[in-house]
Amino acid sequence: MNFAHWKKTGLLLLSVVTLLALAACSSDDASGSSDGGNGEEPDKITAWAWDPNFNIAALELAKDAYEEDLDLEIIENAQDDIVQKLNTGLSSGSMKGMPNIVLIEDQRAQSFLQSYPDAFYPIGDYFSTDDFAPYKLAPTSLDGKQYGLPFDTGVTGLFFRTDYLEEAGYSKEDLTDITWEKYIEIGKEVKAKTGKDMISLDPNDLGILRVMIQSAGSWYVEDDGKTVNLVDNEPLKKAFENYKAMIEADFVKANSDWSQFIAAFNSGDVATVPSGNWIAPSIEAEESQAGKWEVAPIPRLNLEGAVNASNQGGSSFYVLNIPGKEKAAEFLGATFGSNEAFYQDLVLDVGALGTYAPAADGEAYQAENDYFSGQPVIADFSEWTEEIPSVNYGLHTYAIEDILAAEMQNYLKGKDIEDVLADAQAQAESQLK
Amino acid sequence: MKNLMNTIRTNSLFVKMFLVMVISIIAVTVLITFSTIRMSNNLFMETFSITNTKVLNQIKQQFESFSYSVAFTTINVQDNGTIKRLLTKENVSSLEASNSFYTIKEQMDRIFSNNPNDANMIVLGKNKQLFNMKYINWSVSADALFDHPITKKTNDHPDEILYQFVAEGEFTNGRRMIVATKALTESSTDNVYGYLYIPIREKDLREFYEGYTSEGNSVLVMNGDGQIISSNQQGLIGKTDQELLAVAKETDENGLEYQDVHVFGKDYMLLTSSLPALDMYVVNLVDKELVINNLVDRKEIVLISIAIVLLAVGIVFIISRRMTNSLQRLVKQISDMAKYDFNKPVDESGGYEAKKLAHAFNYMLNELQDHVRNLLKAQRKQRKSELEALQHQINPHFLYNTLTSVKFLVKENKKEEALETIDALIPLLQNALGNVDETITVEQEVTNIKNYVLINQTRYGEQIKVNTLIAPDCLHFHLPKLVIQPFIENAFFHAFTEKKQGYIQVLIARREEQLVCEVVDTGDGMRIDQIPSRKGKRQLFSGIGVRNVHERIQLLFGKEYGVEVTSQLNKGTKVKIVLPLLEEDAKENTISNNNTKPRVSGEENF
Repeated sequence: MNFAHWKKTGLLLLSVVTLLALAACSSDDASGSSDGGNGEEPDKITAWAWDPNFNIAALELAKDAYEEDLDLEIIENAQDDIVQKLNTGLSSGSMKGMPNIVLIEDQRAQSFLQSYPDAFYPIGDYFSTDDFAPYKLAPTSLDGKQYGLPFDTGVTGLFFRTDYLEEAGYSKEDLTDITWEKYIEIGKEVKAKTGKDMISLDPNDLGILRVMIQSAGSWYVEDDGKTVNLVDNEPLKKAFENYKAMIEADFVKANSDWSQFIAAFNSGDVATVPSGNWIAPSIEAEESQAGKWEVAPIPRLNLEGAVNASNQGGSSFYVLNIPGKEKAAEFLGATFGSNEAFYQDLVLDVGALGTYAPAADGEAYQAENDYFSGQPVIADFSEWTEEIPSVNYGLHTYAIEDILAAEMQNYLKGKDIEDVLADAQAQAESQLK
Repeated sequence: MKNLMNTIRTNSLFVKMFLVMVISIIAVTVLITFSTIRMSNNLFMETFSITNTKVLNQIKQQFESFSYSVAFTTINVQDNGTIKRLLTKENVSSLEASNSFYTIKEQMDRIFSNNPNDANMIVLGKNKQLFNMKYINWSVSADALFDHPITKKTNDHPDEILYQFVAEGEFTNGRRMIVATKALTESSTDNVYGYLYIPIREKDLREFYEGYTSEGNSVLVMNGDGQIISSNQQGLIGKTDQELLAVAKETDENGLEYQDVHVFGKDYMLLTSSLPALDMYVVNLVDKELVINNLVDRKEIVLISIAIVLLAVGIVFIISRRMTNSLQRLVKQISDMAKYDFNKPVDESGGYEAKKLAHAFNYMLNELQDHVRNLLKAQRKQRKSELEALQHQINPHFLYNTLTSVKFLVKENKKEEALETIDALIPLLQNALGNVDETITVEQEVTNIKNYVLINQTRYGEQIKVNTLIAPDCLHFHLPKLVIQPFIENAFFHAFTEKKQGYIQVLIARREEQLVCEVVDTGDGMRIDQIPSRKGKRQLFSGIGVRNVHERIQLLFGKEYGVEVTSQLNKGTKVKIVLPLLEEDAKENTISNNNTKPRVSGEENF
């Protein structure tokens, strides 16, 4: 009887203990994943970027160059995804799942900085802003505080096929420091002589317009970054006219996406690529065309004050205001912010051209590029970089561009330029109010 | 070995009891443990299958909503006149191209905005015009796509939306894709003018269900050919398993909640849900063992059971040890008793049962002892009366001889002497007729001896002289009647058959705590073994003979007292009588049993 009692107690004990154990297990699980935004200094620093061959490779290189021990996790996300995730995350106010370091395109930067002023960590103290090209500083700073560390320059050049141009009777000199009008003229000639298109354009992407207007120091908005500046914008009007002239000259190969754009010149279908310097690796990827390419300065608008230098794309690193920000800022400051030797490697290994002025004297910058017929491409780009007019990209570059793209189609169909710009202005003002 | 066997034998009760207990405890615990584990497993599996069925339904809804989007998009693209027009155009000018590219993107944007999940949308014309909504997801070229088997298959089934798996490779930039394809046909002629692709990266498709998976709880998506096109178990993607497909089909068709299957070298619980619109099966494989091990900590249950068993066994050990120990001690005491001491009561200790047992045993022992004592008492009583009877038998010869002597004395006119003899006879008779165990003082005894000697000398002359030598401090001590007289008589009549004269010495002295009386004669002496044979002649004063004296003394006082005879031929015989020192009348000083302890008790007297 005694034992029966014992067994009963034992069984009870067993179930109680089991329950406790299970409860303990489940509570473990519950507490395991709570990972707040304001927690302790994390061990791991995360960075978001989008191009494995370019900016991600650059981060990897920086990680290797960084002398201190840092657990840096680089996560690849499509640029659109980064924009979307940042918008979602920052607007919700929850910094959960946000990276420490994020790469943002310069033309989008202001919209983030102004919309979420507290979400970013000023990193002006971690490097000297004087070392960087002035045109990079305006879009990466706000209210006098430096938030972005310039990564690559978007300095533009006119990549051209020497063989096609030669066939049409043009030399490099004929392409140097020309206006867009001259460019169109040459294009017509090339089309006529070689049957090749002069340029490949995506009708949905007016990047070429931005290149044109920045060369004249203008933008879609005024210097305050907010006031829409379309109507009576002489450079923009000129750019529109040039664009239409190109289309009408029928030497434009339309593309609908990046891969088709790349394919257009890799396949030898187009004679020139006016683009940011970052296109160079893609051109060089087609080895059969080695020695057939050179780079001339970008054409300018036929306007007073316009220069043969402009910018397309280009991005900068930002540090989010979450735990680990100091570590992240130190990392950026010590690599992209001040390491000359690292910039030499960056140019050589990744082909990324930074805007860090002291690096321009380095050996790698002076190197001649065999693919481009021995042209010291990097040095040329560095030179042009210094000439890029600084503009305030403001908040609404892409929103305005969507409106302009639609109006551009109307313009191509014959709508009057003044009406086109006036309508675009009206639309933009009402949309961005 | 022998010791061990011995120990086991002596402890056999304990061993048996303990073994039975231990075996039953272990058996019960093991059974309970197993049934607990089994019950929890079953309960768990039951719950798991219910939850997972719900989960599967949710996954299914995700897929269905996806397939609905795909179907919706397909219809929109198919019905879109602009897209159709642009896909069928050839050799356009820059202006036309610019316009059409812009328009088609615009149209696709509108259609695509309804398409959730990270799916892409690609439209490919027969004219090899390709429009890709998210080239970053899949930057495929028109030629590569046009010549790919998925396009061919789509061309073969122009009316169906096909969901095709594309393994990782250069074609897909190293990503696995599931591509929904549909040929775009002119409704009037059924001519195919282009293709619509809605590719979704396997990684993105996985997000439909990945949140529901965990270690041991995996989800596979199989297409109708048995190929695994998506899974949280990366290693399985791309493999084809007809067997699994068959089981999934069977489970689905028979409406089974779940089935146990053996696939990929393991036992799984399989739940499934079919996606007829996509010609796919969502299969949920639950690694029972792993999942149960994660949730039901068998090791812990077993450890607890072991702890309980050890605890119970320990308690059983202590309790049964206590019970059997007291019994065993009792048994040992009882068996020792037979060997050594029958009087010692057993120790009444240990458990209740052992106490009761020992008590009963002791009670029985006491009763037994009482009985034995009574028996002895009765025996002694009987002996005493025998002796008394003997004592009272005054030998008629003695009286006859004495009286004859007196007659002659009177005849010879020896009046004085005759009177002396009669005077000696009277106290002698008086003394002999009393109680056997009555005592008299040494002084009286000496007087008696003297009287007896006087009578004998009157009758037989004075060749045998009797001397008495009494220590003066002994005169007041008591001694039983007729203790010394038989030896003097014996010496008178038997010691001097050869020698006709001699001495008989009577010595009484105190030696330590004993009264020692010696009757020493200078007669013929004898061999010790001849003593009993002399008994035959009954020329005794009373019925009490030499032999009785010893017996009587021991009966009265105990074994250390008695008579000791030593003799040497021709030298004489020495009789030594050892008695206790009795101060008072002997009534108080006799002993009642054969123990050495003198016992003072009035009831012994009679």
